Amino acid sequence: MPDAKGRRIALGCEGSANKLGIGIIAHDPVTGEAIVLSNVRDTFVSPPGTGFLPKDTARHHRAYFVRVAKKALAASGVSISEIDCICYTKGPGMGGPLTSVAVGARTLALLWGKELVGVNHCVGHIEMGRAITGASNPVVLYVSGGNTQVIAYAEQRYRIFGETLDIAVGNCLDRFARTLEISNDPAPGYNIEQLAKQGGRVLLDLPYAVKGMDCSFSGILGRADDLAAQMKAGEPGPDGEPFTPADLCFSLQETVFAMLVEITERAMAHVGSNQVLIVGGVGCNERLQEMMGAMAAERGGSVYATDERFCIDNGIMIAHAGLLAYETGFRTPLEESTCTQRFRTDEVFVKWRD
Amino acid sequence: MALETLQIEHVPSDHHVYAALFRDVQNVDFLQAQLIGKNPEFEYAFIDASVIISRTHLLAAIFRALNTLTEGTLQTPNVHSDIVIGLSPTNNISESYRRYGLTPSKTRDVLVIKVVYPKLSSENSTITNEVPTPASIWQHLTTHIQGKPVPLTDEELAKSTDWQKVRKYYKLNGVPGVERIDKADEEGRRREMEGLVVSGIALRGL
Amino acid sequence: MCPSAPPERNGRQAPASPKQKFAIINKTTAQPNPSATNLSPDTNRTFNPRDPLENYSTRLMDTSPQSPPTKKRKMATSTSTAAAASSEQEQEHQFPLPPILTHPSAAPPTLITQGAEGRLYKTTFFSPDIPCALKYRPPKPYRHPILDARLTKARLAFEAKVLERCRREGVPVPAVYAQNAAAGWIAVEWIEGAPVRVKINEWLGQRPKNEEEEKAALEKDQGPLVELMKRIGSAIAGLHRTGVVHGDLTTSNMMLRPPPVKTTTTTEEGETNGVSSEEAQEKAKLLEGDVVIIDFGLANQSQSDEDRATDLYVLERAFASTHPRAENLFEHLLESYKQSFKKGASVLHKLEDVRMRGRKRSMIG
Repeated sequence: MPDAKGRRIALGCEGSANKLGIGIIAHDPVTGEAIVLSNVRDTFVSPPGTGFLPKDTARHHRAYFVRVAKKALAASGVSISEIDCICYTKGPGMGGPLTSVAVGARTLALLWGKELVGVNHCVGHIEMGRAITGASNPVVLYVSGGNTQVIAYAEQRYRIFGETLDIAVGNCLDRFARTLEISNDPAPGYNIEQLAKQGGRVLLDLPYAVKGMDCSFSGILGRADDLAAQMKAGEPGPDGEPFTPADLCFSLQETVFAMLVEITERAMAHVGSNQVLIVGGVGCNERLQEMMGAMAAERGGSVYATDERFCIDNGIMIAHAGLLAYETGFRTPLEESTCTQRFRTDEVFVKWRD
Repeated sequence: MALETLQIEHVPSDHHVYAALFRDVQNVDFLQAQLIGKNPEFEYAFIDASVIISRTHLLAAIFRALNTLTEGTLQTPNVHSDIVIGLSPTNNISESYRRYGLTPSKTRDVLVIKVVYPKLSSENSTITNEVPTPASIWQHLTTHIQGKPVPLTDEELAKSTDWQKVRKYYKLNGVPGVERIDKADEEGRRREMEGLVVSGIALRGL
Repeated sequence: MCPSAPPERNGRQAPASPKQKFAIINKTTAQPNPSATNLSPDTNRTFNPRDPLENYSTRLMDTSPQSPPTKKRKMATSTSTAAAASSEQEQEHQFPLPPILTHPSAAPPTLITQGAEGRLYKTTFFSPDIPCALKYRPPKPYRHPILDARLTKARLAFEAKVLERCRREGVPVPAVYAQNAAAGWIAVEWIEGAPVRVKINEWLGQRPKNEEEEKAALEKDQGPLVELMKRIGSAIAGLHRTGVVHGDLTTSNMMLRPPPVKTTTTTEEGETNGVSSEEAQEKAKLLEGDVVIIDFGLANQSQSDEDRATDLYVLERAFASTHPRAENLFEHLLESYKQSFKKGASVLHKLEDVRMRGRKRSMIG
């Protein structure tokens, strides 16, 4: 039931990768505003040179769920009775971590007597991005460790116009960080970005793989790994000069981001849009934002991006998207509150938009 | 008869191209000797007319050479020799001179091209500081080429085209794009071959 | 789950008490405009999970709601003014001519289209009587200039080579007149006529005075539209046989070049249709001519069934959305494709897969 101020409240739980996030959001039916009441996140960071494994990640989520939930509740200032529903990430994502969080969500739902809403992770990013930035109908570039998609809304679906044909761009960057044994704290992509700022003397030749509206990253990762090995062995680069990890990071970013901007531009031309919204962890990258901005400027358009509270996986986006669905009557009965590793963005019926 | 000024699309306005066709040239060896000796009075492109199928064919090679001239990417010492090698679809320079340039005792009809453009002072001829004019060029050509000038038209060019050579040099024998055209439609076949020849020139170096 | 004295982890100092830890975190992250550099390492590890994951650390980030969340970046060169300003910008966008077109020509070049891929101009080449289409890919300022130059040159060079190869093999495509891939342009033969899309819509738009005629013709499998579909099918078969896939097959990327005007044998047309109405004959002329495939900017070299089937699928979808009335005629195109090409049957088989999959693959989260 609505809280004292007449608002609908939802608690959202996210844990599809190594970020465990729980957030509480309020929707004001009068003003149509979405108000972030709390947004707490705990990130599981693996040592340099390694990636986070599902088993350990699930363990982390289970270990931290209760305290993060408590914290979110405390910070929000709302009482349990005022919460309308419990939202959780149904997918896509890693199996173990997803399930761990789902168990937590179900527990809260049963404990507190609330209904459940299963949410698509990508839709969560999109809806939060739209709410935060106010972009009305942008082409969305969703880029993270697990996803790379170019999306545009049409007729109650978020349609995928372009995507990666193999691995996600974030995955490519994360794995390269492992190759270079860069720290994963706070995030491997962040550290690559900082290192890249020290590069720029040379642009190494990396394969550029855009195929129509799609792109692929395993080829460029392979080549980058080869060059890294070359560098470690003390061999000079293709131009005969020695090169550094900074040069590699710089070249990798320039190439993969150019690819992303290109497929985004193509989608924009296709649907006739001038707005771009970048969501997902890789969306925090300032170089990517800069490049996208330059492309959009040329078209007389604009780029929308959020800060790391919202572009990195978080619980509030799940709460927000979940509450939107809940308000159209959508429910996930307990027996259907499963998780799925594969859950395409366009499978969701976006009833809350026309 | 006079020298023809070729109007070529998309060429800088201060670049002028002149052309002439001479039949039954008797002193091909002399002309070639001037080129080999780099005689500064003979800055021309001399082309064996039997490998040229049409004006468009010629213009394609001239355009290409002018483009490399303005870009600063000439492959030979001057734009005139670049025109000659530019006729070839391959990068083999010496073969190009042999096939498309003058061959004493073989070449009978000679196409002459002259490009006049603002040169850097270092490139200026030390002998004549005057800019060549169509009249002066024509005077020079008719004086030194022992042949009969004829209008540079498609009809004239067609009279001397050695199609066997053209097909060989541009690898047009058995090409499906040509073969699928009815043998009776010779005009159609020739037009298709012209298209492939022009493309071959355009793609040279890629 | 109350943590006891937290251990040292990763060489970092343990804090005095967990409660204090909460307070510290609350304060440090509640900042007005957090940026990426805000991600300071979490030096005070509190939480002591029941199963210590010794080798791992976690970062707690209290993403407080109080601070303004919006980070809208307006990257447009003009400010937030309206259509007037943006259309002026458009004008500017349209008219930086590529250097090659700044030299004299018989008539000024006309801009035909501009898209994400670049600009297309109509002009003449070599002599004033040879019309041509000049495709120009301007530099993309968002890309690193070296990367941009490499890409543009490689793509245009590839496009020119593909066109030449197709032409040699007898695939109906424009001839290449000239190119300067490094400078970002290629000039190709101008194809007279109209895009197939336009022609088909014209044909479909004309209501036949006699619907029976039209039906009878279609049933007899001999209508001009059926014939056109077959011609398209065999043109694509030729393309694929050459080892090239177009990458963007739509009825806008195919031209219908009208046959050279000669005294038309109207009686012949009439008999083909099975009826001898003048209207049917006139209408039939709409769809006469050669199918010429254009715009190979997204083409690729491929012999895989998957890529070929994708080519057909893209066309099928495009056809269905632009000519819904004629959707069921696509079968004729596919049939003709199969007949014209040895591998045709296996490609059509693959097409069924591609259709079912819709977009290519599922994403793992």
